Amino acid sequence: MPDNIYEARMAGCTLGGALSVACFIPGAVAVVHAPQGCVHQTFSMLHAMANESEVWTVPEILVSDIGDREVIFGGEERLSAVLDVAAEKNPDLILVVTSCVPETIGDDCGAVCARHPYADRIVYVPTSGFLGGSAKDGENAVLAALAVRAPVCDPVPGTVALVGEKNLESEADQNYAEVERLLARLGLRICVRFCRNCTYATLMQLGTAACFVLRDERAADAGKVIAERFGRPVIPEFPRGLSGCLAFLRAVGTACGVSEEKIEAAVSAESAYQDAMLAKFSPLSGTTVFLGAEPFAGTLAVAREAAARLGMREDATGTEIRLPFYLPVGTAGVEKMLYLWRRSVRYG
Amino acid sequence: MRQIALYGKGGIGKSTTSANLSAAFSEMNLDVMQIGCDPKHDSTRMLMHGRWIPTVLEQMYERKDLSADDVIFTGFGGVRCVEAGGPEPGIGCAGRGIIATFQLLEKMKALYGDVVVYDVLGDVVCGGFAMPMRDGYAQEVYLVTSGELMSLYAANNICKAVARLSQRSTARCRLGGVICNSKNMDNERELVAEFASRIGSNLVQFIPRDKAVQAAEVNQMTVIEHAPQSPQAAVYRSCAKTILENEDLRIPKALELDELEDLARQYL
Repeated sequence: MPDNIYEARMAGCTLGGALSVACFIPGAVAVVHAPQGCVHQTFSMLHAMANESEVWTVPEILVSDIGDREVIFGGEERLSAVLDVAAEKNPDLILVVTSCVPETIGDDCGAVCARHPYADRIVYVPTSGFLGGSAKDGENAVLAALAVRAPVCDPVPGTVALVGEKNLESEADQNYAEVERLLARLGLRICVRFCRNCTYATLMQLGTAACFVLRDERAADAGKVIAERFGRPVIPEFPRGLSGCLAFLRAVGTACGVSEEKIEAAVSAESAYQDAMLAKFSPLSGTTVFLGAEPFAGTLAVAREAAARLGMREDATGTEIRLPFYLPVGTAGVEKMLYLWRRSVRYG
Repeated sequence: MRQIALYGKGGIGKSTTSANLSAAFSEMNLDVMQIGCDPKHDSTRMLMHGRWIPTVLEQMYERKDLSADDVIFTGFGGVRCVEAGGPEPGIGCAGRGIIATFQLLEKMKALYGDVVVYDVLGDVVCGGFAMPMRDGYAQEVYLVTSGELMSLYAANNICKAVARLSQRSTARCRLGGVICNSKNMDNERELVAEFASRIGSNLVQFIPRDKAVQAAEVNQMTVIEHAPQSPQAAVYRSCAKTILENEDLRIPKALELDELEDLARQYL
């Protein structure tokens, strides 16, 4: 278990991670080969987090409902039966993920999927519950399974694919907007959000991207698969903090073959934009703050950079400030953080 | 109530021995129950004159109103016969099947009588197959083995399970002794007797190889029923009597593999 309590919270079971990706593909049905209880727990968590992020759509999840009988006699027939139910809905895609139970009793889920009449539209991801690792491994397994289905083709110049957005993160769409804004400075556009609210047909255009940008290191395993399959640059994470934003522009620009002049122009423009943003918080200059616990590694560095740019002092006697739960993305993420700081400094 | 479990390598003759012991117990006017704990569900066939009785597991998920009469069938000598059943080879979890069977029989209050004989799958490959030894079911385990090394190896492994489970507060399981079901090897009785001694137990019965066993099986009967006057029937009766009188129950000490192999070499 990770030492950090916040990271431990994200460890979980592969099912949670896998479904957090699978449930954000419109037109797809997620089939979980598991006891009902596994899906109940996972769905409850997904539903609660989705509500927090104001996502109101209820994902289509079917469960094979493995019980004692299937544990003893094998659950392949139940999986086949629930695939029939899924196929009746005529979805674009059926994503099959598994809990630890079929893995333990040795169900050959791959064979069941392969011989099903709907096999062409079934993607089997042997997540295997806790036996397959953590929620992170579940996310990566689904991303990788879909990535290897996407045809390899010539890249479309100027396009970028986002990979592994955290669908349950409350700022997911704000972060997307920020990355989109930054890419626009380089004349680039996002062609695929892999996988957030993109249909299966769109996801299969992954190979058209000239460059891939991972949400963060959590998607690194899927990133390796994508790099190997398409042989194109993979940027390891969304921009973090002020200087990270500028570095991101340089890295993506270079990866996409943008001219040096254009990259430097984008960096200059963003730098000026950051200065203007920081000017709004000039009253914070000279204040003393105490930066609280760091939920995820890296947040403190982003916060300290912003504090230094504003001329703030850090001391244990200062106003205690809570750091954001997720790493601030881009200039907009820092701006949002500074609004909260200003409120804390003003009102405690 | 005496609860006896027979464990040993697959194909060593546990079911034949169990069925003949149950038949011999019934001749002593004892109320006997035999529970086959092997997915291949053939433990009680000779007692049932060749009939494959419906298994507990194949019925328990089909019928909601399952009663003891649906899973307990009366065979030769009034022996009440039960087959746990289980999955086809290569699928599912047979060990869980044994656990589910015991839970159901317990719920039905079907475990009663003077003697309950548990005929268990070849080796204690998982916790499910240790179920008859757990929670106070079988209090006496008898190892069925020949003088073959692999058979002794399996018996030795079962000793480890008995020793481990005997440490549990709810377990009353002990080793009652070793039954040698002969394969007609040289020095076989001496070898198995020495093995029994080394693990801290006794050879309770040497069962010679005899055509009477095959003849009885071909006629779908136990030896006790098919050839009641035969010397082989007398051997099974002797074994049953010894077991009934046996009060020498011990926690065994399994041998190291090297020690077991050295022992086998000594009696070649």
